[in-house]
Amino acid sequence: MSMAAVASAPAPAARQGSADVVLNIEHVSLAFGGVKALTDVSFDIRAGEIRAIIGPNGAGKTSMLNVINGFYHPQEGTITFKGQKRAQMKPHDAAMQGIARTFQNIALFHGMSTLDNIMTGRGTLMKRNIFWQALWSGPAEREEIAHREAVEKIIDFLEIEHIRKVPVGRLPYGLQKRVELGRALAMEPSLLLLDEPMAGMNLEEKEDMSRFILDVNQQFGTTIALIEHDMGVVMDLSDRVVVLDYGKKIADGTPDAVRANQAVIDAYLGVPHD
Amino acid sequence: MSPAFLYFLETVLNGLMAGIMYSLVALGFVLIFKASGIFNFAQGVMALFAALTLVGLQTGQVPFSHLINAVFGTQIHHWGSGLHAIVAIGGTMAIMVAMAFVIERYVLKYLVNQEPIILFMATIGLAYFLEGLGDLMWGSDVKALDVGVPTGGSFWWEDVTREWAVEGSDYFGMYIDKLDVTATIVALALVIALSVFSQYTKMGRALRAVADDHQAALSVGISLRTIWIIVWSISGFVALVAGIMWGAKSGVQFSLSLIALKALPVLILGGFTSIPGAIVGGLIIGVGEKLAELYIGPLVGGAIENWFAYMLALAFLLFRPQGLFGEKIIERV
Amino acid sequence: MLYREVGDFKTSYRADQQTFAIGSERILFWSFLLAAFLVVPFFINDYWEKSVLVPFLVWSMAALGLNILTGYCGQLSLGTGGFMAVGAYAAYKLMTGFPELNILIVIVLSGGVTAMVGVMFGLPSLRIKGFYLAVATLAAQFFLVWVFNKFPWFYNYSASGQITAPERTILGVAVTGPNSPPWATYLVCLTIVVLFAFIARNLARGRIGRSWMAIRDMDIAAEIIGVEPLKAKLSAFAVSSFYVGIAGAMYFTIWFGAVEPTEAFGINQSFRVLFMVIIGGLGSIFGSFAGAAFLTLLPVLLKNLMVGQLGWATDLAAHFEIMLVGALIIFFLIVEPHGLAQLWRIAKEKLRLWPFPH
Repeated sequence: MSMAAVASAPAPAARQGSADVVLNIEHVSLAFGGVKALTDVSFDIRAGEIRAIIGPNGAGKTSMLNVINGFYHPQEGTITFKGQKRAQMKPHDAAMQGIARTFQNIALFHGMSTLDNIMTGRGTLMKRNIFWQALWSGPAEREEIAHREAVEKIIDFLEIEHIRKVPVGRLPYGLQKRVELGRALAMEPSLLLLDEPMAGMNLEEKEDMSRFILDVNQQFGTTIALIEHDMGVVMDLSDRVVVLDYGKKIADGTPDAVRANQAVIDAYLGVPHD
Repeated sequence: MSPAFLYFLETVLNGLMAGIMYSLVALGFVLIFKASGIFNFAQGVMALFAALTLVGLQTGQVPFSHLINAVFGTQIHHWGSGLHAIVAIGGTMAIMVAMAFVIERYVLKYLVNQEPIILFMATIGLAYFLEGLGDLMWGSDVKALDVGVPTGGSFWWEDVTREWAVEGSDYFGMYIDKLDVTATIVALALVIALSVFSQYTKMGRALRAVADDHQAALSVGISLRTIWIIVWSISGFVALVAGIMWGAKSGVQFSLSLIALKALPVLILGGFTSIPGAIVGGLIIGVGEKLAELYIGPLVGGAIENWFAYMLALAFLLFRPQGLFGEKIIERV
Repeated sequence: MLYREVGDFKTSYRADQQTFAIGSERILFWSFLLAAFLVVPFFINDYWEKSVLVPFLVWSMAALGLNILTGYCGQLSLGTGGFMAVGAYAAYKLMTGFPELNILIVIVLSGGVTAMVGVMFGLPSLRIKGFYLAVATLAAQFFLVWVFNKFPWFYNYSASGQITAPERTILGVAVTGPNSPPWATYLVCLTIVVLFAFIARNLARGRIGRSWMAIRDMDIAAEIIGVEPLKAKLSAFAVSSFYVGIAGAMYFTIWFGAVEPTEAFGINQSFRVLFMVIIGGLGSIFGSFAGAAFLTLLPVLLKNLMVGQLGWATDLAAHFEIMLVGALIIFFLIVEPHGLAQLWRIAKEKLRLWPFPH
């Protein structure tokens, strides 16, 4: 399945989703000591869209995701998620509210199997307390099996049935990335943050991952924020693009508009050489 | 000055000295941690082993005599009247270097790149092994150690401080042990030498490289083997010095190895990778313990020294997890 | 051939999640358990009870507890001895304060008290990790032993400072004190351990167990996917201390009958249990038992060999034992960091294929 085929799926306008804003970043600034990671960045993400965040290395893209996640707390600015202004939020609160993510350097739990890793993603949705779990038979077991069914659907979707019981440390890089995506999906998130999901993959793997991302967006309606360096992927997958450079936003718009933007070309894209 | 203030001063001074003794042990930890990222729990036992070997060589004890007698039914105990102190120290040092070789060859080599907790537990195993070995070689009875380090209270200092007391009070002067003074001088000399070594020599730089990343150090051509043997030998030397000081102070016995446990709070305060930090941490713990015993002790029945250092370290950890001199830990995702 | 898997397909998630997935393994386990309950009590004598079986069961309980904290949740603890002391002294105060209380209830309540103390000392784990946490637990270890030595209220103002367990009966049979028959003490310990091993297994395979392991493997990622570090770590401390407290209560009431804090619950015991967990296998229920068995049998074997057969002095045997334990720790960490449990797993894998090589 080529990139062109992927891009010729439902037209961009229909994929853009509703006009509801899921996440609104306003004038966010983040600094570590003297290092300014983000300076006065503002943009929004609409429900159901795929938003790409691009820029050269060190531009602050991962820091931006970390801020959305609650892992870093900006010194200035406000973040509004699902209409509610957020104060200093801790990462697990962000998770409870429906924000899931994958990581640039894979952050899987190496002591567990694929199945268990994805099951950890269900943790926020499981309710039975420690005493029921100690007993196991009865409500805890039923809950476990119900969530196992949900996880198996994700495993099916990502085509990783054959590595279900394998400890993740033994998996090749590409499969680990898929398992990480599965774990994030298990949380049934409203907003999915993907940090360079295609890094280190060959063309075939990139096509698979692109297909998964599109399917997640279309089948489950999940809003996605995506950091990516491969411009082909960005152009084909995303509805709108934000460009960061040295912690500042230098462009914001549709992929075509951004590609033609002079500032972006100067900072990041460059021009093709003969 | 009033007697109460003079008692306070005396406690502080003795605390500082006690702290130096802790620092001596902590130094060995810092060296090995700096160079290999391993927290060497066996450092205390190494000090005990070094002290035992020293006494054994000095008194002319036959190693493993107990075992040999049990197996062969013989009655041998000593082979002569022993060696001179300096020779014995040299001999012990040689044994410590040999031990460094053996440890590198049979333990460290296989544990390259394991997680820190595995390495730590391996050193606990090593500590137990060395303890058993030391007992087997030299026997587990308490021994007196004497290499000519001056001991006992200093009469001169007592006389001087008696003059400082207010007229008419019955103050008998401050007690400072000459051994502690010697230990302080030795420790300071060691710290200066080691700091210079670490900071300014090529070998020192290699040590710091290895501490950061084993694989990377290997890939720039640093021989891990050599570095580790050197570091563990130096630590062995530091252990020997600590063993001599502690052994002269309270005899060579099992409880010496427990000093290792006391070094932990010292390291927490001073940071695990800082040589001067080991001294400062030791001083703070030493003074803290003694003062706590003096002022808080009577309120709760005494013997606070057992746990005060750890509580102090714990409190410190809550506010400054990396210690006074350690590097700040930044977690990245 | 030993493990017949032909036709053994799982058709439900429930079946897939079982502890013993292979039919023949399940049979093996249940027959072993049945033998332990129904056969051993008839053959047990004082020596086996006091030197092997009760120690094994008590240490298994402690190892289970420490494994939950250190093996599953990755929080290194050197305070096991101190927490066992809490369990023992809680049991003592309950037994002397409420003489009509059934011993089993006393033991469980002691576990509860220890759980609360454990949570308190576990609070620093929210800010402190790794070795530093080990130091915090050392603080607990030394402080607790000091407390039980210092404050006479704990040993009911007795002159010796020792505490002695009064006699208690279940269904008319003494289970504590010098008159308790070996089979009674054995069965009580066995029941307690089997019950709590079952519970530990359930906790480990559910949501809580996974949250512990997530914290152990990568606590930042765990937090980001929604695991609350506070709940996870404190629950690990609570459950672990509960188990260790019960072990301490059993140690005092059933095994020794009389203890004194420094010797019975000192730092050496903390190391002993840590060694059991390392040798047995971190993060494994079976490993806790394997490690406890190993370190309970080893001294007995060595003593029989050296003192009994070779006629050496007991202190020689003791030195050898220390050396051997140390060497074994290093050996296991080099050769198989995941302990006996991993060796057992590999053996089972081979048995599944036997007599075929792959």
